[in-house]
Amino acid sequence: MKTVKYLFISFVLICSAPGCMDLNVPPVNVVTDDVIFGSEDGIRSFLARVYGAMPIEDFRFNHTNGINHFYAINPFSCLTGEAISRDVGGANTETHTYWSEAYSIFRDLNYFMETAPSYKDKGGFSDAQMNQWLGECYFIRAMTYFAMVKRYGGVPIVTQVLAYNSDRLEELDIPRASEEEVYNQIASDFDEAYKLLPEQTSVSRANKYTAMGFKSRAMLYAGSIARYNVTELFDPNTQKRLCGIPSDKAQNYFKQSYDAAKLLEGHYELYTKAWSATDKDAQYKNFADMFFDASSPENIFVREYGYPYSVHGYDCYNVCLQYMTSTYAAETNPTLSFVEMFDGLPRKSNGQIQVYDEDGYYVLYEKPMDLFANAEPRLRATVIFPGDLFKGEALEVYRGIYKVPVGEGITRLLPEGSTELYNSVPDIASRILMSTNSQTQETITDNAGNSYNAAGASGVFNNQGVACLGGFGLRKYMNPDMPADLVVENRSDQNWIELRYGEILLNRAEAAFELFLMAQGEQYRTDAYNCIRQIQERAGADIVPAATDITLDIVRKERRKELAFENKTWWDLKRWRILELEQNNTLFRSLMPFFILNENKWFFDDRLDETNKRYTFDTRWYYKSIPSDRINESPSLLQNLGY
Amino acid sequence: MKNLKYSLICCSLALLVFYSCVPLDNYDMPEETLKGTVYVAGTNKTESIQTEVSDQGVRIRMLEYSWSDNPQPFDFYAMQDGKYNNTKIFKGNYNICVAGPFVPLQQYDPSGNLTVDGSITRDIKGTVEIDWEVEPFLKIEWVGEPVVNAAKTKITASFRITRGTNNPNFQQNVTDIYLFVNSSSYHVGQHNHDNRYSGRLQGNAAQAAFATGDVITLTTQGEFSPERDYYVRVGARINYQTEGQQRYNYNEPKKANVLSN
Repeated sequence: MKTVKYLFISFVLICSAPGCMDLNVPPVNVVTDDVIFGSEDGIRSFLARVYGAMPIEDFRFNHTNGINHFYAINPFSCLTGEAISRDVGGANTETHTYWSEAYSIFRDLNYFMETAPSYKDKGGFSDAQMNQWLGECYFIRAMTYFAMVKRYGGVPIVTQVLAYNSDRLEELDIPRASEEEVYNQIASDFDEAYKLLPEQTSVSRANKYTAMGFKSRAMLYAGSIARYNVTELFDPNTQKRLCGIPSDKAQNYFKQSYDAAKLLEGHYELYTKAWSATDKDAQYKNFADMFFDASSPENIFVREYGYPYSVHGYDCYNVCLQYMTSTYAAETNPTLSFVEMFDGLPRKSNGQIQVYDEDGYYVLYEKPMDLFANAEPRLRATVIFPGDLFKGEALEVYRGIYKVPVGEGITRLLPEGSTELYNSVPDIASRILMSTNSQTQETITDNAGNSYNAAGASGVFNNQGVACLGGFGLRKYMNPDMPADLVVENRSDQNWIELRYGEILLNRAEAAFELFLMAQGEQYRTDAYNCIRQIQERAGADIVPAATDITLDIVRKERRKELAFENKTWWDLKRWRILELEQNNTLFRSLMPFFILNENKWFFDDRLDETNKRYTFDTRWYYKSIPSDRINESPSLLQNLGY
Repeated sequence: MKNLKYSLICCSLALLVFYSCVPLDNYDMPEETLKGTVYVAGTNKTESIQTEVSDQGVRIRMLEYSWSDNPQPFDFYAMQDGKYNNTKIFKGNYNICVAGPFVPLQQYDPSGNLTVDGSITRDIKGTVEIDWEVEPFLKIEWVGEPVVNAAKTKITASFRITRGTNNPNFQQNVTDIYLFVNSSSYHVGQHNHDNRYSGRLQGNAAQAAFATGDVITLTTQGEFSPERDYYVRVGARINYQTEGQQRYNYNEPKKANVLSN
């Protein structure tokens, strides 16, 4: 009992002891302004955090999980027809909500811009340093508003730190600005950044030209909205147009986009380190290598990754089944519809691939790669053809083995437009051996005694999720040198190139051509032609003969081909307002190789996606719905149409 | 050991005691009913509007303003024949409006001010029936029955499309005329059709066919399987977006006997 008494007394003494100290000391568990703003290291840590939070749609982004998510299955490219995935059932819009994250960034940046300059003397910073940091804040703010406006249309513009006062909460209820005002804010923030930023920085931090590069992208979007959008939504309280921009503003935006893109000329160039005008293999290698060369003169803005601190799982999720180490594979399966956009393939008059001879029989090939002998090198660097080498191993993709004598030839397996599963057509199942999954591969032996699997090591199987679905593997950004045992989640660390000079040329070409269409002068068409020509030459594509042959379709198609699988295409289709035309109960096409037993030959069947994924785009999705909890908090936010 | 036992007992007691602080959801289930029909104006409530079963058809929107000036809307959708019936609604005072392929009941001027307001504010208690009379953008009538070709691989249908409203603001061009085909369901429309076979006129061709005022004849495209029956229906829409979507007007669906013929 005595012990308890002593314990109690010492407890009281200990508790009262702090009363003797001066309580006016900075709390050690809160980082105060002078720690952050008073030293270069503090500012660097601040900027690193906002750069990290800046909305970049990279390896760790998709339309369901949003930005900076640790895994990214359900690939974004499977909303555009570029690819299909077992995890994407059809057309969709983004289902993640990106709202409060953006306003946290705005607050951080506004706070920095209001506070940091007063620490200039204390920290001993030079004008150049302070300008760079402020310029970066303007840059990131513009990037973040751009991420908002392309989703929602007009959003509340906050350019200063809002004070929280629980008695006057209604002051924080800021109505949406017009879509036009947001784009103008973005333009002025990029312009401010251009003034403040230095000429050169590391490629993962913004410089003058980074700001102008992104400005060319944002203004191109604004111009397209002004020109092609038909949705109108006005806020009766503010009389502002929340969705849509008056069409007479289009020309000004395209001009701004064009001028910004032109400023980058001479500061960056297309990557051609391994390129040769006459060698298709070199062109292929050049385009594939571009995404892995840190010293590429084409890189304008890069999000850097590095194991083990900052990683993603792009290789793990997208590698073909035969290279699989984990339980993930083949999330992104390029479609034939996508592949058919490229040059160098045998074609029918309607532009689709020609796999039949004049008599209507399938053309037989010695090797699967023979069909792609003349394919555009950029395509080969974007998808893996059946039989092409990846990691020193041929991609083995085929649907089945034709086991009966060919006779005069093989006529088409399914009627045009059929979505039937091959296995469920008795006539096909009796002639072709197929496997439902890789665990139960069936085998067949030819006359010479060689045994063959019924389907390729990567598929195609009709009942196995991780099998190849479209007939092609994904090549772009896939690391060809990654050892098999490292192909697991959160192990990849290749950099994401968010902006490269190729896109700048395409921005410039599109803006120029739109200006030409608005009768702004022949020189714009010539300039568009020159930009497109540079892209096509580097890609090894067919070159448009002359400036007078350029059409808007050619400009757009070039963009889709060049920037495929870089998470840009969905936004492009959206701003051109053509998604509902492209995706109207649409099935994409796939290409299925078959091996012919005893002949040692191959044929290809072009067909509608066997997994029957139908795509229908809902025009309401041109403007995303504003999260309802934000409206509850801020009642003056008007919801977009149709939600 | 004893201490441990006591503290365990105390913790469990505390858990039990605080657990009872969670409020029990003892509100009544929503059990009021709102139902009705969206009729075509001028038909003396004999003809209801034909639509599709989806959020691209006819939407009934309910707003309860007692909690917020900008409440989260409660939406549901009409059936294919323009009737609607919702038996799970909370008691309350609601502002109710329908939107679909017809002249909007709520219209705004270019700066967003409400100029026409056909919405209804009503207490919902028990069963409330509200009928609406609206002017569809387009009226579509069958002319004769859909005809199946001899090989049983195509359907041809004739119909007439006329404007459903004289309102000068809703005389936009017709952009799409579809003969929607579905191989399994009576619920056929742009939300549920087989794109491979549905016959269509789009863009200028659609407007040109409509502008003549004559009977239009459409045939399905491609060749479908003769091994089943098909449901067909004509849909057409003008270049006007209702709530972010161009919506189709329809005629009533018909079954084309292909297999059972």
